[in-house]
Amino acid sequence: MVQDTRLIELKGISKSFDDTQVLHSIDLYIRKCEFITLLGPSGCGKTTLLRIIGGFETPDEGQVLFEGADMANVPPYRRRINTVFQKYALFSHLNVFDNIAFGLNLKTPEALGVKTRRQKREEIARRVGRMLKLVKMEGYEKRSIDQLSGGQQQRIAIARALVNEPEVLLLDEPLGALDLKLRKEMQVELKAMQQQLGITFIYVTHDQEEALTMSDTVVVLNGGRIQQIGEPKRIYDEPKNAFVADFIGESNILSGIMREDCLVEMLGVEFQCVDEGFAKDEPVDVVVRPEDVMIVGEDVGMLTGTVESVIFKGVHYEMMVNTGAMRWKVHSTTMQPAGSRVGMSIVPFNIHIMRKEA
Amino acid sequence: MKRSWYAAPYAVWMALFTIVPLLLVCYYAFTTRSGAFTTENLTRIFDYAPVLFDSLRLALYCTALCLLIGYPAAYFMASRDMSRSQSLAVLILLPMWMNFLLRTYAMMTLFENNGVLNTLFEALGLPRQQMIGTEGAVLVGMVYNFLPFMVLPIYTVLKKLDPRVIEAAEDLGANPVRVVTRVVLPMSVPGIVSGITMVFMPAVTTFAISRLMSSGMIYLMGDMIEEFYITMNNRNVGSAMSLVMMVLILISIGFLRKADPEGQGGGLW
Repeated sequence: MVQDTRLIELKGISKSFDDTQVLHSIDLYIRKCEFITLLGPSGCGKTTLLRIIGGFETPDEGQVLFEGADMANVPPYRRRINTVFQKYALFSHLNVFDNIAFGLNLKTPEALGVKTRRQKREEIARRVGRMLKLVKMEGYEKRSIDQLSGGQQQRIAIARALVNEPEVLLLDEPLGALDLKLRKEMQVELKAMQQQLGITFIYVTHDQEEALTMSDTVVVLNGGRIQQIGEPKRIYDEPKNAFVADFIGESNILSGIMREDCLVEMLGVEFQCVDEGFAKDEPVDVVVRPEDVMIVGEDVGMLTGTVESVIFKGVHYEMMVNTGAMRWKVHSTTMQPAGSRVGMSIVPFNIHIMRKEA
Repeated sequence: MKRSWYAAPYAVWMALFTIVPLLLVCYYAFTTRSGAFTTENLTRIFDYAPVLFDSLRLALYCTALCLLIGYPAAYFMASRDMSRSQSLAVLILLPMWMNFLLRTYAMMTLFENNGVLNTLFEALGLPRQQMIGTEGAVLVGMVYNFLPFMVLPIYTVLKKLDPRVIEAAEDLGANPVRVVTRVVLPMSVPGIVSGITMVFMPAVTTFAISRLMSSGMIYLMGDMIEEFYITMNNRNVGSAMSLVMMVLILISIGFLRKADPEGQGGGLW
């Protein structure tokens, strides 16, 4: 379980490449045993942030603290951090066993808790065997890397990092190259491994579903700035701004005006909501998730519109409903044919009000 | 017309200037002047064993020196700083744009008794050195001529190396020395093999460089073969010696091939 101790702290991290600033004064702390995900579109700075934690980039400004100690002058090979690289970066001149054993081979026998070189070899074989079992790749010791499929290489890359028993594991879009089914399986396995081993995982992805599935904490980044930090459910249910709402899951975003506490006007209709603390008549962004829009009879709907298109998505239908002023994305398990008139209603709890971004 | 016909001019060229001469070399090697079959030409090689030995020895030294100088240069060129590496690549390639004899003559003027270096020594109050005629001078000439052939294949392989792989090694606890010994060197073996082949082969049959840089004092197999053909007008022994050299080179290629079975070293040969 996530502990309260802060393992890593980032203080005011800024970084530029050439003339583009990719990180703007990032403050973040990562707790022990936390599964934290840096989520954002490509170019948002998430990989750079990960590389700064790993020691592969130096920040222009700010500090990385590891258990309170400044890491500025600690090279990657002295950090108790291991990385699973994008596209794995396995050693093609070594077989599976030697890839996993790479880090252990560099250690002294004493560091592995044995005395002689011979015992070290045995200890390494034991630990590599245990890792292969963990990633379900037993029997592949002698295979060469280019004989493995993408998913298998992925597992070896994870085993190669985990065998060193790091305090922190950095994962840079590790599932990006896998097909959907394998990706889902690996998500579950990674989460299980993290809980079983009690290691802090810092995970980078642009896949919001992946982030929500696996993480204890999600950090949403955009344009080199943190947009929101929080538990997956909180981020999904209470996005802090329009960017987060749009990026995490699908949403209908529209402008509204806060008439009073718990009453918002949008599209000329007043809706009950649950948000308070806004100024009277303050302009706000309103987010409604497609699955929170209920299709009702035309006569009882708060809004009425015409179904423009229907797409079957597996579990639900995705319908675009035009109310004249706005096209709504609606998810429903019951289908309304295109062209039909429908009413829509939204319960107050599902209307999310956000302050306008400056 | 079939695509294969496009290669016809090259095939004719090959036949005329590679296959026919090869057959002629074989024919002369096993015949006497009058055309009778003999193996005596081949056994004559033993009379020149010291020359053969010197040729192999110098070629080995030259290859080793090229590797020692060339590898770090290639490593530096392949490093991430593009602009600097490009200019270095040009510097390495520049001498290759000139005929090797010209280059060697230029080297001679450096090392001669009244040459540039000795003038410099004198100006610094150091004694003049007899350099032309020494094995060292020959070796310098050879290394200078063959160095690019070592640098380029290694550079090609190192350039293709994924920087993430090096980061992965660092990440797993390898300090800079170990990154080189455990990852960079093993992964550049194909380039090294290619470089060794490209240097050793021409080095072992060096001629002219040895004669010019030693003012005729040091004789290598290449010079020997040239002398048999041209000065002594003895094609038979000359051919026999050429044949022996060819076999030696083929054997060494065979060994090197084993170290790089997939020919990843840029396939320059």
